[in-house]
Amino acid sequence: MERRSFIKTALSAAGAAALGSTGLNAATTRQPVDNRKISEVAFPEKRPMITYSDRPPLLESTRDVFAYPITPNDQFFVRWHMPDIPTRIDPETYTIHINGLVEKELHITLDQLKNDFEQVEVTAVLQCGGNSRSAFQPVAGGIQWGNGAMGCAKWKGVRLSDLLDKAGLKKEAAWIGFNGQDNAAYYKTPNFVRELHLDELDDHVIVAYEMNGEDLPYLNGYPIRLVIPGYYSDSWVKMLSNITVTDKYKSLFFMDVAYRVPDNECECETPEKRAKKTKPITKMNVKSVIGYPTQDSIVTHNSHLVVRGVAFDSGQGIREVLISLDEGKTWDQAILDDGSAGRYAFRTFRYSFKPTKYGKMKIMSKAINKLGEEQPFAKDIQWNHGGYKYNGIDEVMVEVV
Amino acid sequence: MKITNRIKKLLLAAAVIAVPLSAKVNEDVAVPYVAFPIKMGKGFDVVQAQCLTCHSFGYMINQGPQSRTFWKEKVEKMIVHFKADMITEKDAEIITDYFFEQYGNGKLK
Repeated sequence: MERRSFIKTALSAAGAAALGSTGLNAATTRQPVDNRKISEVAFPEKRPMITYSDRPPLLESTRDVFAYPITPNDQFFVRWHMPDIPTRIDPETYTIHINGLVEKELHITLDQLKNDFEQVEVTAVLQCGGNSRSAFQPVAGGIQWGNGAMGCAKWKGVRLSDLLDKAGLKKEAAWIGFNGQDNAAYYKTPNFVRELHLDELDDHVIVAYEMNGEDLPYLNGYPIRLVIPGYYSDSWVKMLSNITVTDKYKSLFFMDVAYRVPDNECECETPEKRAKKTKPITKMNVKSVIGYPTQDSIVTHNSHLVVRGVAFDSGQGIREVLISLDEGKTWDQAILDDGSAGRYAFRTFRYSFKPTKYGKMKIMSKAINKLGEEQPFAKDIQWNHGGYKYNGIDEVMVEVV
Repeated sequence: MKITNRIKKLLLAAAVIAVPLSAKVNEDVAVPYVAFPIKMGKGFDVVQAQCLTCHSFGYMINQGPQSRTFWKEKVEKMIVHFKADMITEKDAEIITDYFFEQYGNGKLK
């Protein structure tokens, strides 16, 4: 008996050591880093933002903007891949070329884009696939974004399908490649080209020139960018200049290596045993972020507090957002806005209550979409090497005084 | 005379403000330089010479603390996928060691 219990103890000690050495089971996903300082330096057309890099520019929004349905242009996150972005764009001569397997090549100026085609608008969430990456443990490779590599804007432009119809797709057409004007410093570096299969493109995909009623900000892709509602932003090519139709998929770094997750049920892997088969990140999963109150802020005891935030998914639509004030033991329904901004937009939620206990209080939000998919607890989200698609139940800790 | 001048000036200022954004972008856009607090250490001169050609210090130091293998693979990615083939094998080693020493998590793998 004694011997058996000794063996048991020895085994579990060995087990713990083994877990410790893998470093995965020992460390679980946590809340993304919050409250990073904004920079003292303002980038063109932007307020000072959380700044990870100036070349290429990588800017993050602060949490407070997610109390509102639309993210202001001057606070909207920025993510470029290549360091050399044209410093001068002439809107009179800027031309977008459509070529490849088309009946007629097109060269469309901004003016023609705005006048010769039906103008459409869509309100849609733009989110980096690596948004909230800092949640992953062990630290996943890439910029350690908090929750602010996302935003929602009203985009105006022309349907991609209208442009392709005008050019006339040839029978063999299958893939559409999109290339922007940003370039690498070194001429041999591959361009940031994206390819999408025709089946992935519907009438919601637009070639946009306007964001929240203004020209696109320079750093958000002026003068034209691709808008693919429901999809992560890696395919929303900025400073779009070329649309090329092909019959075969062209092997590209940014398609074949970057922005991919394990191609298995849990989309997960371990640092020691990386998944051999991967797939593109494509559609966004269900997520909510609290915009007010913010992390570590102070709220007044017995005051009428209204928690505000946003929820979204890939366009299935948000069914409900639940709030918990007791570490997720019980959940209460938040009030959603009327949803009139459409299924690709931020759905705002609000939840009123009076904090009656002094001291630290955790507020959690969980969104559930119309398919019944819901946000897991952060600790239940499994690891992937790129730190993509984090969508844990959101948390802010405040102090009631 | 003085007053007319002032009005003129005001009108001019109004005209400048009223210029649409598109015309504003038609001027050269200057993305600011940000001085990221990168750590000094052995091999820094090579990092400065090789890595800064394509991207800022910020891009490097905001990857989080990582293993030696991670940094080695990052440098390899720059050479293989981004075609920075001017980085010699020796320099790749120096860069890897620099990042592991300054921005490492203490783990080899």
